[in-house]
Amino acid sequence: MSVIAVYNIKGGVGKTATAVNLAYLSARQTGKTLLVDMDPQASASFYFRVCPQQNFGAKKLLKGGRHIEENIKGTDYSGLYMLPADFSYRNIDLALDERKESHMRLHKVLAPLMAEYEYIILDCPPNLTLLSENILYAADYVLMPLIPTTLSLRSLDQLYAFLDKIGLGHDNLLLFFSMVEKRKKMHAEIMLSLRERFRVLQTTIPYSADIERMGVYRQPVAAALPASTAAAAYASLWREIQENL
Amino acid sequence: MDHPGRDMLLPDLLPTEKLLAALAAEFGLDAAPECEASVVYADSFDWRLYRKGYLLHCHGSYWSLCHGDSGEAATQPDGPKLQTSCFAGDFPPGELRKLLEPILGGRCLLPLAEVNLHSRQISLLNRDKKAIAAIEIRQSADRERRTLLLRRVRGYEGEHEVIRRILAENGVTESVLPLTSFEDACRAKGRSPLDYSQKFTLELDGDEAAREAMIRIYQALLDTITLNMPGALADYDPEFLHDIRVAIRRARSGLIFAKRVLPDSVSLSRMFRRLGAITGPTRDLDVYLLAQDDHVKRLSSCLRPGLQEFFAELSRKRQVEQKKMARMLGSRKTEALFSAWQQALKRHDRQTADLSDLPIRELADRIILKRYKRVMRGGRNLDATTPDTETHRLRLQCKKLRYAIELFGSLYPKQELKIVTRQLRKLQDILGSFNDLSVQQEMLRQSVITLAAESPQKLDQAAALGGLLQSLFQEQEALRGRFARAFARFGNQKTVMLFHKLFRKRGR
Repeated sequence: MSVIAVYNIKGGVGKTATAVNLAYLSARQTGKTLLVDMDPQASASFYFRVCPQQNFGAKKLLKGGRHIEENIKGTDYSGLYMLPADFSYRNIDLALDERKESHMRLHKVLAPLMAEYEYIILDCPPNLTLLSENILYAADYVLMPLIPTTLSLRSLDQLYAFLDKIGLGHDNLLLFFSMVEKRKKMHAEIMLSLRERFRVLQTTIPYSADIERMGVYRQPVAAALPASTAAAAYASLWREIQENL
Repeated sequence: MDHPGRDMLLPDLLPTEKLLAALAAEFGLDAAPECEASVVYADSFDWRLYRKGYLLHCHGSYWSLCHGDSGEAATQPDGPKLQTSCFAGDFPPGELRKLLEPILGGRCLLPLAEVNLHSRQISLLNRDKKAIAAIEIRQSADRERRTLLLRRVRGYEGEHEVIRRILAENGVTESVLPLTSFEDACRAKGRSPLDYSQKFTLELDGDEAAREAMIRIYQALLDTITLNMPGALADYDPEFLHDIRVAIRRARSGLIFAKRVLPDSVSLSRMFRRLGAITGPTRDLDVYLLAQDDHVKRLSSCLRPGLQEFFAELSRKRQVEQKKMARMLGSRKTEALFSAWQQALKRHDRQTADLSDLPIRELADRIILKRYKRVMRGGRNLDATTPDTETHRLRLQCKKLRYAIELFGSLYPKQELKIVTRQLRKLQDILGSFNDLSVQQEMLRQSVITLAAESPQKLDQAAALGGLLQSLFQEQEALRGRFARAFARFGNQKTVMLFHKLFRKRGR
């Protein structure tokens, strides 16, 4: 019964691929799992071919209760459910701002679901807004994919500063390297220097055409190509995360 | 794909293709190739799932649990492969395991029936090619009966309504149990549902002659031992051996007047002693190992690895003992004892004895009352200062009384018997726990002595055993203080009167 947010301020770092594959592995290996797509681009929903109902949107999400229950959908995989995203989530900060205790709203919305699911995994949009603050409060653990580049380092510093500002510690932050290209010397160098400064998980997710092709076959890579290097990397990442929870 | 569903009967006159065409008009169909499957039904030896209304079956590593009233309860696509046996703990974490664990406890699952069938799985897709439900059409190998299982995916209620309408239009409305051939399939394996229970269920007639009734009782106990023997020898789970030992104890508890009912009972008594001695060491180790989780929890985390190491060694010792026991149980000498027992019970020209023709109800009264008086005598002075040996003796007397009540239970009114049994059980619980703690401490003390002699590297284990000894000692001391109150409850006027009312001497 933990909430894991897959989050980074920066976009294009492999958040959705990570959330989708870890949710699949969690349902398969651990138990009933809910994947919540928080990103208005709805990429995770697209991967699972799940659409929200017509009358569902940001306001209903923040109301919680039966509005959420009614919109949770089963995926093609046993034990894996998802709450799909709606395009109206692009205005979610405005909707949040209208509510009392706006930074804790998501936590309150997810709390009643905790008893039903072993894990709730949040696929988060890339930004640093009121919604991000909600996500950081709601999550028991924040899983952050980092591409080994200088910009990633900058986004990590920004996140640490933000966590300090809102009074949350760094203990529940789990970092791992994503989209790693072995042949790039710079990747190896930045990984080494970041590992010296921060606690980073040992597993790395390689840059892989198999992961990119998830959009074509619309399945987690761990389900479509279970023997692939990418699937093995996600399996190893899930193992290591569980050891660290 | 795990929303509960129910098997429905397909009408004989409805071609499968016609139903699929009707569904294809509304949904995309994604059909897996038709397959012939051998479905294995699994349950514990004593039908724990069946008693609760469940049927569990597997095809390879795909498991499905159905409830007779509410339909499909849970599925598990990558469960264990059922070769000879498996436990609830062998399933990956999930809904199915959560349902199985409390029902099965420490009992294993065994393949109890096998059914061959043809199966077709078809996913129903919406416009996004997302599966919103799946149907499975199963046909028994003799092609006599076709059933359809609808598995609904959560969140697509509108589409499910359309599917239900199409099924109803085609006459698919009647819910049925997954396979009526289940009972036939059980019979093919020599079993029938509920043919075994851990309780002693023999029905006696109070006016039956004691000799005939005792022969039936001993035959039933011999059957229990024989039924459990293959499981105990193969070591499927510890309950097989436990049931054998209970049957032996029950048999021994009935021997109190045996010589005056069955003159051949001297040899029976010798046999029970031998069986008890052969099975004792393995059962003792089972009891220690079953307490493992409780014992580990008593210790701080730094002492736990040492204790786990100790239990790993205990488990290895148990394997050795179990093999030794299996060898002795399978030996010619034991076989000869069993066949002698069988022969003795079948022999018609048995000598008569003075109580042979007494109605069994009177004999039962005498046995139970005698056992009861022994408990009352032993317990009268029970308090916190009673020596452990006395407490142990009283515990054995209580056990014998309980077994005697179980043997002859069918002769007495159920409700009143329940009251006396409940009071007795409460006393037994305290005495039993006290004795377990005492035996476990002694075993640990002996182990510490052996460890010290073995190697100084086993300090971790010795420290853990020390911690555990202290914890067990404290619990035992706390129990000591509860003796007097527990016995006072058992020996109160109401229970005493009930005992005498139920088991008093009748007009002879």
